[in-house]
Amino acid sequence: MSAPLPAQEQAKAEEQKLSPAELKKRAKAEKQARRAAQKGGQEQDGDVGASATAPNGVNGDSNTTKHDSGATQQQHAQKPKGEKQQKGQQQQKHGRQGAQEVESHHKRTGSQSQPLPIRRRPSQSGAPPVVQKPAPKKINKQVELFSHLYTQPRRQSIEGVSKDIHPAVLALGFQMSSYEICGSSARCVAMLLAFKEAIQAYTTPAGTSLARHLTSHYLSPQIDFLKSCRPISESMGNAIRWLKKLIVEIDPDTSEQDAKDDLCERIDTFIRERITVTDQAIATSACQQIKDGSVVLTYAKSSIVERTILEAHTNGTKFRVIVVDSRPLFEGKSLATSLMHAGLEVEYLPYSAISHAVKQATLVLLGAHSMLSNGRLQSRVGTASVAMQAAKSDIPVIVCCESVKFSGKVALDSIVLNEVAPAEELLLPSQSASAKPAKEDTSEDAEAKPKSLSDWKDIANLQILNLMYDVTPAEYIRMVICEYGSLPPSSVPVVHRLANEGM
Amino acid sequence: MSKRNAVAGGNGGPRTPPFDVVAAYRRLLSEDEDLTMPVAAIEALILALANTPASTVSETLDLVSKLTAQLKRGIPNSISLSAGTDLFQQYLISNLQRPSARGDFDQMRTHLVQNGKLFVERAKAARETIAGFGRHFIRDGNVVLTNGGSRVVGSLLRSAAESSNNRGTIRFKVIYVMSPNNSAEEDESRQNVAALRERDIPVATIPSTAVAYCMDQVTQCFVGAEGVVENGGIVSRMGTYQMGMLAKAAGKPFYVVSESHKFVRLYPLNQQDLGIEQNVVDFRTSVGSVKGESRSVKDEGMEETKGYKSPDFATQDAVDYTPPHLISGIITESGVLLPSAVSEELIKIWF
Amino acid sequence: MPAPVVGQTPSLTTFLKSLKHSPIETSIELLISLLRRRQISHSRPCALATAHLLLRVVAAERLKPTTDSTVAALRLIERIRDVGRRLVAAQPREMAVGNIVRRVLGVVREVVEEQGDGGEESSGGGSEPMSPLAPAVPQDLRPRPRTPGDATPPNFDGPSDIAVNSRRPALASSTSYAGQGPQSTSLLSFLEHPLGRSPTATPSTPGTPSRKSTQDKQEKLDIKAEVIDGIKELLDELEVVDTQIAESALEHIHSGETILTHGSSQTVQKFLTTAARKRKFTVVHAEGWPNDHEATHATIVNGGGGTGIEDEKWKPLTSMGVTVILIPDTAIFALMSRINKVLISPHIVLANGSLLAAAGTSTIALAAQAHSVPVVVLAGVYKLSPVYPFDTQELIEYGDPSKVVGFEEGEFVEGVDVGNPVLDFVETETVGLFVTNLGGCARGYLYRVVADHYRGEDVDLSAAAAPNGKTVA
Repeated sequence: MSAPLPAQEQAKAEEQKLSPAELKKRAKAEKQARRAAQKGGQEQDGDVGASATAPNGVNGDSNTTKHDSGATQQQHAQKPKGEKQQKGQQQQKHGRQGAQEVESHHKRTGSQSQPLPIRRRPSQSGAPPVVQKPAPKKINKQVELFSHLYTQPRRQSIEGVSKDIHPAVLALGFQMSSYEICGSSARCVAMLLAFKEAIQAYTTPAGTSLARHLTSHYLSPQIDFLKSCRPISESMGNAIRWLKKLIVEIDPDTSEQDAKDDLCERIDTFIRERITVTDQAIATSACQQIKDGSVVLTYAKSSIVERTILEAHTNGTKFRVIVVDSRPLFEGKSLATSLMHAGLEVEYLPYSAISHAVKQATLVLLGAHSMLSNGRLQSRVGTASVAMQAAKSDIPVIVCCESVKFSGKVALDSIVLNEVAPAEELLLPSQSASAKPAKEDTSEDAEAKPKSLSDWKDIANLQILNLMYDVTPAEYIRMVICEYGSLPPSSVPVVHRLANEGM
Repeated sequence: MSKRNAVAGGNGGPRTPPFDVVAAYRRLLSEDEDLTMPVAAIEALILALANTPASTVSETLDLVSKLTAQLKRGIPNSISLSAGTDLFQQYLISNLQRPSARGDFDQMRTHLVQNGKLFVERAKAARETIAGFGRHFIRDGNVVLTNGGSRVVGSLLRSAAESSNNRGTIRFKVIYVMSPNNSAEEDESRQNVAALRERDIPVATIPSTAVAYCMDQVTQCFVGAEGVVENGGIVSRMGTYQMGMLAKAAGKPFYVVSESHKFVRLYPLNQQDLGIEQNVVDFRTSVGSVKGESRSVKDEGMEETKGYKSPDFATQDAVDYTPPHLISGIITESGVLLPSAVSEELIKIWF
Repeated sequence: MPAPVVGQTPSLTTFLKSLKHSPIETSIELLISLLRRRQISHSRPCALATAHLLLRVVAAERLKPTTDSTVAALRLIERIRDVGRRLVAAQPREMAVGNIVRRVLGVVREVVEEQGDGGEESSGGGSEPMSPLAPAVPQDLRPRPRTPGDATPPNFDGPSDIAVNSRRPALASSTSYAGQGPQSTSLLSFLEHPLGRSPTATPSTPGTPSRKSTQDKQEKLDIKAEVIDGIKELLDELEVVDTQIAESALEHIHSGETILTHGSSQTVQKFLTTAARKRKFTVVHAEGWPNDHEATHATIVNGGGGTGIEDEKWKPLTSMGVTVILIPDTAIFALMSRINKVLISPHIVLANGSLLAAAGTSTIALAAQAHSVPVVVLAGVYKLSPVYPFDTQELIEYGDPSKVVGFEEGEFVEGVDVGNPVLDFVETETVGLFVTNLGGCARGYLYRVVADHYRGEDVDLSAAAAPNGKTVA
């Protein structure tokens, strides 16, 4: 029983706050982790117990800090969702056993996930067949321009996972790949909390010191595992760099437990100072920009933007919000829902309606995945167009971004730095089931039986590209609000040096 | 006077005293404040024609071109009036040089001489037609930016203020750019402002320096023109160009309101290419103006017409050229033209 | 609702079937209700339905044998305008309906003019072709008194007629596109004699002289027949318009290029398919969620065609060796830097070159502009509208919000205002080139193409025609 005391306490403290849906989610994550542990085959009962506490910490924290959009999303996710998810997982196991089963399983899960479009990706069950496709076909399906981004398919199973991976990290990995934990800062916080547990579970082998062994032999595999589930975000990278530096600087004389406790304490401080308190500061500063009569336009979902809007609403400002949303993640829907529950006047528009949204808006608030050193904004794919339309109509575009997301990298376009998500996410859930018979009626040609997009892998020359991010030119951005104040985009590298490299 | 006498004497024995076309033009303009410069020029030419009986086609054409040259020399800024004289000349040429037109010569001459009033009426009717378009362009809640004392813009706005849509009268606001000095044009502006305010239209007057400042509140801009040039650009009072640039930068529609008789065969390449001299940029040292190597476009005609020239012409009546890419549309009596359509209209009358 | 459509989903096909054996008034009412309920929608089906209906209307019109040709024409024009007004009022946003009505009106006027050319001097001859029809110009906006075109000197009436003659006889030569412009806009008309009678003037329509000589005696019959012929020509044009546009595909798509398009437009598909027969290129296809993505997917996977009545079907681009990359609309900006050309097929091209196109198009056009990628607009002439976009907001249509958020999410739909605009207004500045069935044309010349196809007096269909037939002199 190596679960750390603080995490347990925290979990207990959150216990009362958790809604049934959240409990459900927690149970699911636990199960997932447990199954993972069993599959790994090496872990004993004690570890399972540890893994059971892990998601508590993750969920609990993300709930309080509102980083986890999954928390709100969870509230309107229907009950069967968790069950289906499990089914999918099980089917996946079967899928590995036989090729024919893979095909049928793929189709079945496609239709199964139909009523749950919210952030529920068919990819979770749909991706393994991609991996197992014969090599030439797989290459065919990669968009050449982005070939550098198809490093490895997202890990969907625990097959081949090193036994060293801590159950908390394991659970987190799957939550990330399924977008249950989504958003740059939420993922960063969740990762640090998981690392806290992992560090507490760590014992320095004989003949080496913690400072020399922990990073390279213990933490690195954990990080690699997370990367294999979903490429890590800039904030995670910054946090990892900070943590590694911290470990190297540990005084060799400190006892192992003291060192571990110190690390955990410092991690808590980091989360508090760089994210939790920072978010509050940014929200307080950004909500000054919302005036009576404002019409705030936002795209997808950013936890800081949500917080800013809610704070302005709490302050009694009278304004209206337009949420623009897009396929396939529908993140904006959970934002719109939470704003609606807070009593705000919310308009929800599809991505195609940007030009109409911009006509009404007086202010655009955007969240960030990362602020690049050349002042450009890397954020959810589609952000650039929203900013462009706003800039063209001379509406101020304001980015809310913690300095932990500032990056030393530069990019001119959205191609160099990006993430390609599984294409299956773009398939329409209903397509395989209901659309087909209808189409057969209309076609007279006997030879060409209409296919649907879910057959895309069998159609030569057809590729589906599902990007995660795009890069917004700096000239579209009027202001960046971070915990250091409000900056022009050109000052991003200044703050990056101060905040991420100067420590 | 002696020179002008010689000009008149050149066309086949003048039996009447020489006709001062420049004076006639000025008189016409001052008598009827609604008269536009091109129409006044046409009227002046008609009067001259009536006073100078010419017997043959070539004599008439010769006379008209000489009078035109005289008129252009006599008026410092001849761009607008040349639209009228060009139109007149082309009309004569196209009608008189036809082989079959011999017999029509007298008929045509009589027609022109007798119908001077009609042309003035037509010009006014054109303005009324244009004004009628106003209600299509101006909607409830719009903020209109305009400048100068253009009569046709004024009547367009007045007509919009008076007309109504299905929800009642159109409620819009106007930002009027005024220049600080007290030129005659400013009087026109003040009259326009007063007329709009009388019709319950809120009007704000701003100096031209504030155009950029208020551009974000503006829905669209309307400006008048002295002349619409061949490429669809306009020559208009100083400040129009910068307003066009600012409107373009802010993405606001920039409409020119002009009767089509102001289309003029002139193709300026830049601001210095207008064919008139304007001392807007006047470099000075403590000694005085450094105008030694001035690139004057006026030649010998200047000296004798100096008397007509108002001393501070540069500041009061200066014009600039607004290129066509800044213009969203030209509202004429025959509808809204794209700038690119002007060229075709002019080609049609010249060839 | 008339019987023929009972039991079938009403559509263009059922309408055209019912047209054959329904009384004319029933058919008009049927089309009005179909338009109103959006059971016929999109430019081409609307254009086809309108043209077919007007064909019936003209055919059904009984002209007394005694009627003089100009009176007959006036009656036809009255009738067409009246039907047109009702159709347009039923669905003002389907502007193709109005376009076709105006084109048909133009056909009638043109027929009258051709006959006038051969006619007697008393009616003013070719020099005064429009005078009997001029009352169509609304009173309040009628141009200043004059007889247009009369003494117009031997100028050739501008380049327009020459350009157009090759294809179809000239319609109007007005370069104006708003309001009700004069029939001829020569600047010289300013100085013309109010009652000018120079019979030598160039006829404004260099018509077909072979026809007119035989027509003098049997005008009243011929007017109808000629107009019907004209409408049939128009229908032929609608049939082949996409093919004609596609003929210029090879001028615009080259090997190795990356082309971006959006939605499930058949015009674009045909264009791409034509190019794919000769060249290998890549197509990036944005799906057009939420209104068009399913159709887009189907088009990509199964190829195009088959939607209209007798349209051919064709294979998907992928089977022709063209790489097709399907992207959500969100990725358009991200990919734009690698795109060579953007193809757009709008619903309507307005008189100043701005477009009404599927929602999301304005974002594509702006992104293309930001990356200096040329935007090529594919639009048949029937999509060119002489209407000036005075109020762009008025033209936007809003669709079914349940396409964005399903009604099953009751709480969300209750508490949040869900919108779904179907159309976007696209500024003309973002468009690089228009490709019509007559060939390519820059936006600066679009006014001329519009003027060639519509009569100034027909622009405002809602204006009531004046009762008597004399021009004010």
